[in-house]
Amino acid sequence: MEWRDLEAEVVRCSRCGACQQVCPIFRELGTEASATRGKIGLIRSAIHGWVSETEGLSERMSLCLACKACTANCPSGVQGDQLVLAARQRLVERRGLPLIKRLALRFFLKHKGIFRVGMKLGPLGQRLVLRRTPKGCLPRLPMGLDKRRLVPELASRSLRERYPEVLEAPMARGRVALFTGCMVNHVYPEIGVAAIEVLLKQGISVVIPPDQHCCGLPAFANGDTDTALELGRATLGVFQKYPVDAVLTLCGSCGGTLKQEYRHWFAPDPELAGRAKALSEKVQDFAQYLDGQGLLGSLGPLKGKVTYHDSCHLARGMGVTKEPRNLIRAIPGLVFQEMEAPARCCGAAGSFSLTHYDLTLKINGRKTEDILNSGADTVVTGCPGCIMQLKDGLHKYESKINVIHFAQLLRQAIMGNPIPPPMP
Amino acid sequence: MKPETRLALIHIVGPEHVLEAREDLLCYAYDASPIAMDPAHLPCMVLFPANAEEVSRIVGLANDAGFVIYPRGAGSNVSGGSIPDRDAVVMVLSRMNRILEIDQANMTADLEPGVITEQFQTAVEKLGLFYPPDPSSKAFSTMGGNVAECAGGPRGAKYGVTRDYVLALEVVMPTGEIIHTGARTMKSVAGLDLTRLMVGSEGTLGIITRITVRLLALPAAKKTLMAIFPDLEKPSQTVAKIFTAGMVPTTMELLDKTFINAIEDYRQIGLPREAEAILLIEVDGEAESVDRQADRIAEICHQQGATRTQVAKDAAEAEELWIARRSAFASVCRIKPNIIGEDATVPRAAIPQAVREVQAIAARHNLTIGVMGHAGDGNLHPSILADERDADEMRRVELAVEEIFRSFLALRGTLSGEHGIGRMKSRFLHLETGEAGLKVMRSIKRALDPNNILNPTIGLGA
Repeated sequence: MEWRDLEAEVVRCSRCGACQQVCPIFRELGTEASATRGKIGLIRSAIHGWVSETEGLSERMSLCLACKACTANCPSGVQGDQLVLAARQRLVERRGLPLIKRLALRFFLKHKGIFRVGMKLGPLGQRLVLRRTPKGCLPRLPMGLDKRRLVPELASRSLRERYPEVLEAPMARGRVALFTGCMVNHVYPEIGVAAIEVLLKQGISVVIPPDQHCCGLPAFANGDTDTALELGRATLGVFQKYPVDAVLTLCGSCGGTLKQEYRHWFAPDPELAGRAKALSEKVQDFAQYLDGQGLLGSLGPLKGKVTYHDSCHLARGMGVTKEPRNLIRAIPGLVFQEMEAPARCCGAAGSFSLTHYDLTLKINGRKTEDILNSGADTVVTGCPGCIMQLKDGLHKYESKINVIHFAQLLRQAIMGNPIPPPMP
Repeated sequence: MKPETRLALIHIVGPEHVLEAREDLLCYAYDASPIAMDPAHLPCMVLFPANAEEVSRIVGLANDAGFVIYPRGAGSNVSGGSIPDRDAVVMVLSRMNRILEIDQANMTADLEPGVITEQFQTAVEKLGLFYPPDPSSKAFSTMGGNVAECAGGPRGAKYGVTRDYVLALEVVMPTGEIIHTGARTMKSVAGLDLTRLMVGSEGTLGIITRITVRLLALPAAKKTLMAIFPDLEKPSQTVAKIFTAGMVPTTMELLDKTFINAIEDYRQIGLPREAEAILLIEVDGEAESVDRQADRIAEICHQQGATRTQVAKDAAEAEELWIARRSAFASVCRIKPNIIGEDATVPRAAIPQAVREVQAIAARHNLTIGVMGHAGDGNLHPSILADERDADEMRRVELAVEEIFRSFLALRGTLSGEHGIGRMKSRFLHLETGEAGLKVMRSIKRALDPNNILNPTIGLGA
């Protein structure tokens, strides 16, 4: 890719500054380069050769959550997040990836076998470096992970290890394939279990393709386009084999990638573009699918007050905002209270929260205060990355507020059981 | 800049509030004006002072060490007023962002220059108070910038502009002294009106570090209506008719077909794509009076040839219309990448003639010029759509801009209603002020800023 390829999009930025109003990073740092207008100014500078492909340029491009708030708010319709990701791609092409990211993305993530073995050994290794607390784990050593960071334990059995490939619902009214996503598969299998149980109970048969892997977004967001495309191609291959009504996702970021990003990634190749389009038409978020199908039977009453956090990629990537709220409101007895700015980013943004922990703490602090001000006892959201982040934020405030995926809330309402604790 | 000067500046604001990397400096070489970034004119430092004292020390040092300063808020002005010259120091006032006091009994407020305008408005409205000026950038522009530019906005038709609300200022003068202008009272004639001199001075005469504004009571009710017209002539004539009939709408916005469609592309809110022009009108006041005003205005619009009028059904629908209106400038960038949004202004009754002149100029230079503006106060924003990569088109744009200025001045108008002179219009200023008028302005600048420290390339006919 050449910088000049971005010029047509860059010149559409009128530099009005409207992105400053919604950019979570600008809000914390207040420097021009932190808002999208500044990043576009830098891309413009790179196009004209006014700035070299420096470490400083890479660092400024890294200061973006890809939360899409600027894109959604841009009067000129400039795709700010796409420009920043393209700039990262270019910088990685020219400057390479830092060693740790190269290992993580090109060795570990890219190779399914190695990834699985790693995740299997993970729980063992984790005990050595993490100490358990009732809320989760805290790192014993800095090891590139901030010692204050609350991290969940890896599950000893992944979600996909717990189920056969096909789960038939009696008298099925629908059939879906489940894209498990890495975090639900390895970190929060209980979300996947809840989703599967709800679907089966609702008369939806579930297919869990065993050879699925990462959607590729972590690589793409870090500028490693080659790895991302390879993972994307594999995903297209896996899911086209199953004759299903829909491909469901449990994470806004995975879902947005399958639904939107693949169509951009594979646009240059007509054959792959066709497959990406076919997959895109089938991909739905879990809440979107269930809300569209309509819930069968009565939902048990639940007590308490819940608020809802919009995952950036679920809300602005997949356009899913009403459906989870419809499902929450359908549960009798539950009080639903919107928080201030529910669609403002929590600051997780994948590996961003690992590489820029101090900044992510500030962004998450605002989100945590909004949650606390809502008076809710449970935060519901649709993305495991947000769940990890929100739990960390609430932990810092020593809050007892629970954070769950809407699949878990629904399971509770349908099965009448309390939400089960995290799965070992 | 000498190394010891640089170190002294870093010492004043603290190293964490200084930017010096080229990657950062490039991001301060532009503002929201269409003036292209020029890498040959990068500042040497960007400073984020915390208070008036730091500002004063920096300005003092500028006089001793001989560097120039470009103060800046959000960098959202559209006249090039915050684009620095080579090796200048850019001073960003965004860290000074506290609302210091809202005095409900006296209906005034004190605030620092970095407060975002809309956040200030929200804060006072929670107390039943009202700060009317509403530039389209209000969601991200700063109050300091609004004062320095004398920002206006749609509500100017009824409520005037920023200058009508500023009672008093704390200003760091170009020589470093801190002065307090004006008074907190509604009346004050003690000495020369330095407050008015500072408002709209575009950062050339001083750096505003504290602002006292007067507030109004928040109107109990408001109503938004849209009148749809089959051509651009009829709504232009309607504007003055409404005022002469004794109605004073809060806002009265004219949008032509180009804008209607661009806005509708941005936010699908149901603007009539088939219309040639619309007037977007808001009235406020007591609940009963609002209905009466809206009915009467709708009646006048129909008499003047509106094909349809329609009232926003609730506050949410009205706000959606106004958000859309505020996005007008940026949303036309969907048609062509660059927009040269002029804000020459004419007396209300001259609007029909001004619109005809703009159309003739567009035809003569083969350009697309959208017509939009705060028609209620004659503040039109003829907006030339262009592509910066097309040199011939940009040349024609320059010719058209000059013709617009000359024709609006001939209609007894002004070069700028609310955007300021900045770099964009500096060379045309004498057309309006005359050489003698310009000479007076320059002598004021020289008297207050003998070393030409503040915004030396901005504003005064340079």
